[in-house]
Amino acid sequence: MKRGLVVLDPAEVSEAERAGRVLRLQRRLAQEGVTIALDYADVHRSDDLAYLTNLCLYWNEGILAVPVVGEPTFLMKLSPRVHPWMRRSSTLTDLRSGKGFTALVEGLLAGVEPGVLGLVDAALWPATAIEEVRAAAPGWEVRPLGGLVREQRLVPSAAERELLRQAQGHLEAALAAAVAAPEGERVALVERALRGAGFTDVLAEVVRGPDGVAAVDVSGQYRFCWVRSARLVEGASPPWVAQLGKALAAASAVVAPGVAAAVPAAAGERVLTGLPAGAVASATVVHQADLSTGGDYADPAEPLPAGAVVVVGVEVLFPDGGRVAVTETVPVEAS
Amino acid sequence: MTDQTDQADTAEQELRYSRVRAAMAEQGLEVLLAYGPGWRRENVRYLSDARVAGSAALVLLPAVGEPVAFSTRPADLGVVAARGWVRDVARLDLGAAALSERLRDLAPSRVGVAHGELLPRALAAAVTAAVPAAEVVSATALLDEARMVKSDWELAQMRRSAAVCAAGWRKFVDVLEPGLPEYRIVAEVEAELKRLGAEDNFMLIASGGDEVTGMTAPTPRLLEEGDMVRTELTPQMNGYWLQICRSAVVGKASDAQKRSFELFNEAVEAGLSVVRPGVTAHEVAVAENDVFRRYGYGEFCGAQYTRVRGHGHGLHLDETPIIEGNHTVLPERAVFIVHPNTFTPIAGYHVLGDPVVVTATGYEVLIETERVLFESAAGVAA
Repeated sequence: MKRGLVVLDPAEVSEAERAGRVLRLQRRLAQEGVTIALDYADVHRSDDLAYLTNLCLYWNEGILAVPVVGEPTFLMKLSPRVHPWMRRSSTLTDLRSGKGFTALVEGLLAGVEPGVLGLVDAALWPATAIEEVRAAAPGWEVRPLGGLVREQRLVPSAAERELLRQAQGHLEAALAAAVAAPEGERVALVERALRGAGFTDVLAEVVRGPDGVAAVDVSGQYRFCWVRSARLVEGASPPWVAQLGKALAAASAVVAPGVAAAVPAAAGERVLTGLPAGAVASATVVHQADLSTGGDYADPAEPLPAGAVVVVGVEVLFPDGGRVAVTETVPVEAS
Repeated sequence: MTDQTDQADTAEQELRYSRVRAAMAEQGLEVLLAYGPGWRRENVRYLSDARVAGSAALVLLPAVGEPVAFSTRPADLGVVAARGWVRDVARLDLGAAALSERLRDLAPSRVGVAHGELLPRALAAAVTAAVPAAEVVSATALLDEARMVKSDWELAQMRRSAAVCAAGWRKFVDVLEPGLPEYRIVAEVEAELKRLGAEDNFMLIASGGDEVTGMTAPTPRLLEEGDMVRTELTPQMNGYWLQICRSAVVGKASDAQKRSFELFNEAVEAGLSVVRPGVTAHEVAVAENDVFRRYGYGEFCGAQYTRVRGHGHGLHLDETPIIEGNHTVLPERAVFIVHPNTFTPIAGYHVLGDPVVVTATGYEVLIETERVLFESAAGVAA
């Protein structure tokens, strides 16, 4: 869970750049005739909120309200006791707490001329939360929107790329130590190294297949960015293991602007032969912007934009529930 | 597994399924859908005893017949099937084709959805479209109640969590020293918990003096001599969460910090003293809060300063809240923490609490860590 460092540092991302993220969204809202965008967040899925405000939603759920003009407001089910910390660690100044979204949205809309409430990533909102918003907004049009903020997050800025670079550096160093460490110490080593380096969230796992093959698979949140790396541990290396690296290389080689994520994945999967009986193998291409959800909701037909950063992965699932994975982080650039 | 383990495992599954199906029968539910988003997986775990990682997972439990599990993450399917409680597994996406097919085949007239209040719009629409004639109702309370009474097997898992709590707290105290940033404390504690096999941990922290009003995720703040460092550690072992709440002083405790501890300890003792089968969450909270009221600190028992006076433990770390007004009955074998955590002007926010299981005659404290105001004079160099 999110129990690592949360810090707002203008030296890492300037105040102007942070404000620019909100302005960019607001320009989009204006173009689409949306009066206020509402972006739902919970502990598991809160990257839009972190990106726009630097807020770490370490528990419960909330809705970020971004008006077409003006400052965002965060409506949350967390106690007002944490407002001082939220103000120190985010760009938010308007924080409102309550037990339910209907009252919070009613308060937000009080005195505002009815217009269009746009629900960002509406398909992922809890249906109940949508009903609570509707109940609070008579006279308003409640319009489902796509992933407007995710679209912004797909291509990192120079400052974001630097944070990603730092995060990846910490991660690779931790993994290099972990894969050489004794069994039983690997995850602990990764946790100490990454949280000690300032990671907010760390999901580290030792995964295993047959023939003594194992890997350390780590995803981590550093500031508002996510990185992932999976490496085989030192030791057993039966012939089929070599296929993983070949598949990874084949998939990575096909990553290019305009190519759908499914294309490099297919290129990698074509190479995955000679695996143990019953194994199911796949290659994946997941945006760094989607790593917190493991790419669960991403569309493999979506073209990769130039400048994005993706994690190419090869994963083999075994009949006993085991798995092995290897990954490579690849910038989406014209070759 | 040995034959004995197999038997215990089968017995545990049968216990849970019979309990849930009895409740389903009482409510006329032909199908139960236990939904688990990424941050609330307890019901999926309860019915599958499998650790899933996907952003969304579901277990479909028919009143009669075999359960089916779904997940957005392909790797989860093998994990669930290998565990053995649910062998029929299928991929879940927002179109929910596999789920819809199963529902159509069952054609239930009444469906209960646990955590339906968190079910994404797309999945809720798919359920409605699959069984348009069915009445779909909430089953969140049904599974909350089922999970409240812990079996012997579950209590054994929670005792493992308790041992890891104690170890985590020892590490916490060991590393405290002036100059250490808060987040480095968390890094050391996390490493220890994971070394001991914890799957996850929920941990908040706050350091400083009487200006501290609550705990949060860690900051870059450097510890200072005289700081009170508060934390709640909640390791998860084999699915089960258990929490310890303690505060420690960097160096020697001040008189104010000691007075604060005495107040909070008396409140914990008062809360514990009323615990017996059939006590309500309200009664436990009142017992704690009355101590604060007696000493003139009653205003600090309200929502402005505190969230809850404890909460249930199990496959979810924050089960029934121990607050005034919650008349949920806490039966024998319920597990919860009594923690009167709040702010007072004596020494700022104070954190103290012990998890207990309700026994036939009262309660048993599940952790061995002594309930004192810890003082630390050493730690890892910054």
